[in-house]
Amino acid sequence: MAEVLAEGFNVFDTTKSPAGTVKYLESPSDVISLIRSGKLGEHILLVRGGTTTFLAPALSMGAIGVITMSGAPESHLGILSREFQTPCVMTAHLSSSESRYVVGDTDDAHFVEIAKALDGRRVRLDCTDHETGRVLADD
Amino acid sequence: MTTTAAQGTTTGSTFRDRYRPEDEGLRFQELTYTGNFVGMEPVTDGIKGDKMMRARAKSKVLEKVTADDVRKDQFTIDELNDLNNYLAWNIWDVLVMRATEGVSGMIPRQEYEILAFMHEFYRWPEILRMTTREVGGAQGIMDIGATARREIGTKVNAVHDWAIGAVGFGMGRCGLLALEAIGPDDYISESNDILKFMQRVLWGKRQDGYLLNSQDRYRCKIHDDDFLATLTAQIEPLEAGGPEHAAFTQFNAAAELLSFLDHYDCRLGLGDTGPYELPDGNLLILRDLFVNEEVFHWSDVCDDAGLPHAYTLAIVLDPEKMSLAEIRVNDISTTFTRPKNYIDAIVGGAVFSREKWNTPMGQVANIPIKDLPGHLERVRTATLKLYSKTSRMCRRDLIWNGQYVYYVDMILPHLRLAGTYDKACRDYNLWEIDQRVANYYYDITKRGFAQETVPSKIFSGAGYLPFSDGADLGNSKGRWL
Repeated sequence: MAEVLAEGFNVFDTTKSPAGTVKYLESPSDVISLIRSGKLGEHILLVRGGTTTFLAPALSMGAIGVITMSGAPESHLGILSREFQTPCVMTAHLSSSESRYVVGDTDDAHFVEIAKALDGRRVRLDCTDHETGRVLADD
Repeated sequence: MTTTAAQGTTTGSTFRDRYRPEDEGLRFQELTYTGNFVGMEPVTDGIKGDKMMRARAKSKVLEKVTADDVRKDQFTIDELNDLNNYLAWNIWDVLVMRATEGVSGMIPRQEYEILAFMHEFYRWPEILRMTTREVGGAQGIMDIGATARREIGTKVNAVHDWAIGAVGFGMGRCGLLALEAIGPDDYISESNDILKFMQRVLWGKRQDGYLLNSQDRYRCKIHDDDFLATLTAQIEPLEAGGPEHAAFTQFNAAAELLSFLDHYDCRLGLGDTGPYELPDGNLLILRDLFVNEEVFHWSDVCDDAGLPHAYTLAIVLDPEKMSLAEIRVNDISTTFTRPKNYIDAIVGGAVFSREKWNTPMGQVANIPIKDLPGHLERVRTATLKLYSKTSRMCRRDLIWNGQYVYYVDMILPHLRLAGTYDKACRDYNLWEIDQRVANYYYDITKRGFAQETVPSKIFSGAGYLPFSDGADLGNSKGRWL
């Protein structure tokens, strides 16, 4: 099995295993730029929040896979990921780090560390496990 | 393994067991609830949680009640406290897992939510009293609720009706208590006004004596059989993996996403009813997706894209195909299943379009699934334009726009049907911001009030303080001390 870079909640069981370069989306303008680049389908999208609206046009236009740093399968984004059948790993944490997301008590450094480790990496999502979604190295 | 009532065959689904009186349902989460029941056994989610909360009630307000009960002018203190406790648990039940979401990255939802909660508690009572007067009293409000039984694409639905009490009373009062702007025995009379309005609308809609879906094992079966038959006759068969199935499910997701965005990242844009068991044993969910709300100025992009007020999807699930163990249509109009993923189990569907909020039901049109790609394109166009427009707004505009989505939209459908929306705008300054709430804008980010203090009190249940035994039902705000 390939190296597990990160893991989190699996939003739904699927044999789909999308691969692509992680793109960290920090602001709405990043989302708009990605869509306008025409390269949406080449990327696994990495975001901080587990809400839907931040990723709205990307999901609607055919995002292939999503990793979030907060949120659970019951969140807006979890619901929409299932409806779109877009594989999604939520509240992902790095396998190489002890840092974990805690509601209302997560230092900014937690998010920065994950973004730094994953942004630009070639990865594949494994969402076959009922509970745990995995981000595998694919380079 | 179980036997289906409809077919008499042995299958892998077990969801019908959830409707046996002794059944306590599945646990969808490991967390438990305490609220105002410190020192007692923690309350669970789901069917068991509903049973526990009702067993702890002092009154009969959470059991099936009659029309005469609903017509009474006010609740007793025990009834108010039972509703307060139950709504607090219900809010926890449907929302606590959402507490993990973190920040939106675009819309400051927690900030606008708390402002809206408090605004509603202060401003809604006189508008709801006026509306009740204008429709001739309690029965008129019950009749507004009853309209939902033979309509689709109407916002007189579970989430809006629930929000009147759960949000306007429950969370609004909770927020003001947390801010120490009010005490537990302030505004009892106004609390009664809000909760009576909620009770009357919900009772009129359900007609079974219950108020909430959670009291009926998470079912919202409000439509009459003959009305449902007119819709199910138009359902087209779908096969997982086929192009029609893909077109239907992708349209569902895209329209749902736009409805969230048009309603500022909240579920007021979504309304599920059901599950209705069909003669063949399959389950029907009716899903309203409000993709264009004309009172929101930002929804002009949805007009430009030629979108209707609402699409309604009839979604047919084969429970055996997914070995369905439990299905919940919760009180915020959202369907959750175990197993979680029901998309592959969709075996039929139909889409309907309601042009305006007041388009007669007879003019609600069926859209053949082969025509969905054109609608999907319009939805995508509106989504990108609305996203681009929203991303250019300053934080203050985002917060007040979101505040309007809650404060106006949660009672908008009822005011529309009562014919009092224009009067509320003209004579009651509905769209103005109360000075008290305007001032709270500057307090909500201090000491984590909006992002930590209030969510903690709302989700834990600790902030829903009870009214005192023997408190005066006529109490408003007697003193500013």
